[in-house]
Amino acid sequence: MKQYIILVELDRCIGCHGGCQVACKTENQIALGPSRSKMYTMGPTGHYPDLQMYFMPVMCQQCENPSCVAVCPTGACYKDEEDGVIYIDQDMCIGCQSCMRACPFQCNFFNKERHVVDKCTICVQKREAGEMPACVRNCAGGALHYGDINDPESEVSRLIRENEGHVYTLRDDNGNHPSAKYILKNCDWIEDLPFEFEKKMKGEM
Amino acid sequence: MLNEEKIQSYMQSLTIEGMTSIVKDVRFFDETEPEILKADDEVKIVKTACRACIANCGVLAYVKHGRVVKLEGNPVDPMSRGRMCAKGLSGIQALYNPNRNKYPLERVGERGSGKWRRITWDEALTKIGTHLMETKEKYGAEAVFCSTGGGGNPEIWSIARFCNIFGTPNWFEPGCAQCYLPRVLSYTMMYGGVDPSIADSNALELYFDTEIKCLVLWGTDPSYSCPSSGGRAVNELRAKGVKTIVVDPRFTPDAAKADVWLPIRPGTDVALQLSWIRYIMENKLYDEEFVMKWSDLPYLVDTETKMMLRPKKGNGPDEPDTYMVWDRKTNSMQPLEYPWNDALDPVLDGEFEVDGKVYKTGYRLLWERVEEWTLEKAAEVCWLDAAKIEEAILLYTKTLPSGLCIGVATDQTPNSVQAAMSACIIDCLVGNVERPGALLQRFRTSGTLRMPNYPVPQATKMLPKEQLLKRLGGIEHKGLHIWWAGHPTSILDAVLTGEPYKPHMWIDRSGNKFGVVADAQKVERVVHELDYIVHVYMYPTSFSAYADILIPAAEWLETDMLVETCNMLVARQAATHLWEACDETLFWSRLAKKCAELGHENCKKAFDPEFMGEDLAYWDTMDEFFDQCTGKIGMTWQEVKDKAPFEYLSVDDWRTYYVYKQLDEKTGKPQGFPTPSKKIEMYLDSMITLSRTGQPYAAYELPPASKDYDPLPYYLEPIEGPYNDPELAKEFPLVMTNGRVPFYHHSTLRNVAALREMYPVPELWMHPTDAAKYGVAPGDWVWIESLRGKIRAKAYVTEGMRPGAVCMERFWTPETLNTKTHGWKEMNVNVLTKASAPFNDVVGTYTLRAFQVKVYKAEEGAPEGVWTKPEDFKTWLPIGNA
Repeated sequence: MKQYIILVELDRCIGCHGGCQVACKTENQIALGPSRSKMYTMGPTGHYPDLQMYFMPVMCQQCENPSCVAVCPTGACYKDEEDGVIYIDQDMCIGCQSCMRACPFQCNFFNKERHVVDKCTICVQKREAGEMPACVRNCAGGALHYGDINDPESEVSRLIRENEGHVYTLRDDNGNHPSAKYILKNCDWIEDLPFEFEKKMKGEM
Repeated sequence: MLNEEKIQSYMQSLTIEGMTSIVKDVRFFDETEPEILKADDEVKIVKTACRACIANCGVLAYVKHGRVVKLEGNPVDPMSRGRMCAKGLSGIQALYNPNRNKYPLERVGERGSGKWRRITWDEALTKIGTHLMETKEKYGAEAVFCSTGGGGNPEIWSIARFCNIFGTPNWFEPGCAQCYLPRVLSYTMMYGGVDPSIADSNALELYFDTEIKCLVLWGTDPSYSCPSSGGRAVNELRAKGVKTIVVDPRFTPDAAKADVWLPIRPGTDVALQLSWIRYIMENKLYDEEFVMKWSDLPYLVDTETKMMLRPKKGNGPDEPDTYMVWDRKTNSMQPLEYPWNDALDPVLDGEFEVDGKVYKTGYRLLWERVEEWTLEKAAEVCWLDAAKIEEAILLYTKTLPSGLCIGVATDQTPNSVQAAMSACIIDCLVGNVERPGALLQRFRTSGTLRMPNYPVPQATKMLPKEQLLKRLGGIEHKGLHIWWAGHPTSILDAVLTGEPYKPHMWIDRSGNKFGVVADAQKVERVVHELDYIVHVYMYPTSFSAYADILIPAAEWLETDMLVETCNMLVARQAATHLWEACDETLFWSRLAKKCAELGHENCKKAFDPEFMGEDLAYWDTMDEFFDQCTGKIGMTWQEVKDKAPFEYLSVDDWRTYYVYKQLDEKTGKPQGFPTPSKKIEMYLDSMITLSRTGQPYAAYELPPASKDYDPLPYYLEPIEGPYNDPELAKEFPLVMTNGRVPFYHHSTLRNVAALREMYPVPELWMHPTDAAKYGVAPGDWVWIESLRGKIRAKAYVTEGMRPGAVCMERFWTPETLNTKTHGWKEMNVNVLTKASAPFNDVVGTYTLRAFQVKVYKAEEGAPEGVWTKPEDFKTWLPIGNA
């Protein structure tokens, strides 16, 4: 089976909010407010002037064992056997938002107008047309990559091999086994989930 | 007679009528799910170039049924390589913003009342032309002033050209005195080639395989200012192992990725630079061969006149003057004919007495200037760690070739020119000039443009000497003449004081003068003094609220422009055209034509190709204008547009290193640098000439400034700083600086929902110790107060801000345009900045950064009427449903 993912080279992300935010929202016609990918500022940590900081785009982690799929009462939310991507069938979704509560990474959002849940599909419509996902296509830092991690020849597999010891996945408390990968060499990886970390930084935790 | 039906309220007049014919079947950021483009829909791809900032990233604009539906970077673009940033990608929302200026509008009712009526283009031009002619008749042409700036300027010289032809010496851009001109002037005078500003699309060495090993980003953060071009290129270099040093009080993305971060006290850059120069000189880290043979530092200076000795004048522009050196062999003063004389053994560092007069080498004078700036002293003044400064200098000097890119930060204090001079000296001392890897380069150009990417000829000969003498601020700050510009504060003060005369009419093409000019309250006093105000822009801003006529300018997706990007010619080409918007470069031509019709003699002549010659006759269409540029390479504009983007030279042919060593066929000698000595002039005595005569930039010789400009850089402590004014600093304890965010360019794009939802209100960056001291919690709304006013912002409490300093980006709010604030009083950092003296002597820069503020919690919360939630911006979304 194929497993398509987004891989982020965090050392290359310059926090510009271009490809992963504006291009994604334009391509996928997302309403004001929610977003299929979120940009977290991981830092600065440490004490002035000895600081570290990296930027972290987070979109659906395409889990091996997705809790969103497990809790979906209608079967609208499913992991595709062809490409390993998790989709929500918009006709079958009843907007109960169980999958949003089940996602440990806060990657889904509720589309108020259509009363369904929406999420990253790694731009399925673009991939089917032989094009790159909008975020990857426009990423100014060249930080974003996509591909099949089960294909040893793919770019993402190559990057994972070449950066052994520096490849991370989001902290997995629930046995979701997120497939998406992050490469980070120049900073210390922050174990907190990005949304938890952001709350900490804002003094909310 | 007023037609009552035509009188509409400001915002109402700007909502769209008949929009459905324009918007067919695609929605943008609408509330519902996407309609994926059907495969059989015909989509036209227009290869164009962005202008959401001053970069020109290549863009593929997808157009369906005449409507732009998608933007993507063009992969062949040598600078952006197919990437786009948030600003560019939101171009569709800017284009189809329901509140665009659509037709010429005339104010009805009181100024600022927001009542407008639609008029025709001809009515608008006739009214403006008539006011221009009347003002000229009554007070002289100099009583008209024009301005531009504010972000994404397509072509600034069209304003200078119109002013020269109309006969007024007074145009300004905030960008002249305090953005970029200080760097352009300094590098032009000292080196003669292009400055190394990444954000101004220079430092072109960085965009191809390069040998550079260490890059200094001084007061610049390309990740934020130009993410897809410079930010991308710097990112690639870091990935390849290039070392970086960042000088910035803010922990920007580039600072976070740097090998050495120097979080400097805002406004003290020159102090730090002088310590770098001292360290390099003291430790002999300079390139001795280059400094000796290719700079003016061995030349002797008469310590009384401060001028270098010139025993023999050059004969014409190809032959430089002969200078004097002290010959070690004969222990005597000897002329050194360009380029070099092996028979002589010149002393680099020396002081000599001949017939009772003292002469020193340029090197010695530079040393005397920097001698006090030890690492320890710089550390104390700049609030840095001496060991870190040394680490940075050693990295930069030992990891060659290296390069120093100086950004806009230093252009925004009265020490502006000296910072650029110091930066240039640092790169030149270590020999980072025209060698592979260096940022200072003179690569070849296509020949279609006289100045890169600003094609309109300025027609300086049209402005008579008696008018040039009336340029406000033009005698005191003669560096402005390199761009033929006036001095902003001198012009605005003249309106208020009537000294030396009172301007009466203002035509402005820019984002928002209240957002980008220092001491915005003064701008408000100025507009109330004026008889007639015209505002030309794509959408209404605070400035529009005070105008008498609004002219709709075209967005970048609606315009053409000839663009040169490295070794490629790129065409910005219109993807669509909406309403009655006009290319603003064409607007000035149309206005000149109207003035000609009304009897203006020079405007009539400006349409005569024979009379205008190289300055080109005015054009009735943009095609007509561009044809004259592209004709130089034997192509029509249409042919260029069809073919663009294309390489006009291969990278290898375009990227010419060591231009100064190339033989000049006319003289048989190396061509050197385009400076008076043909060498790098680190002791810049042409500053003295400039201050006394305006030469070589003013079209006529001008009377002297009140004092000579200094040939060497000097440090100026911030006027309101804690050392200069300790009493003031007790009440206003924090030093304010500004800096870019990736969402906006200058005052632009605050009306774009896609960007405002991510960054709705300005953040005030503040260190936790300062926040605790002044009772501020993360996310609090705070008041920020300076001697001049107070504003609000949201506190971003972060370790990533140097303690004792705060940082904020400029802001205005279109959503409160129709209230009594007109959107500029709530969160506009330029309510706090200082427009008055001291000015930089050479170019008149005032204090936009490095002034004192106090910060305290705003119990009131957000300013009234300011939108903070994503859904608030819904009314700015393009209209239309599938």
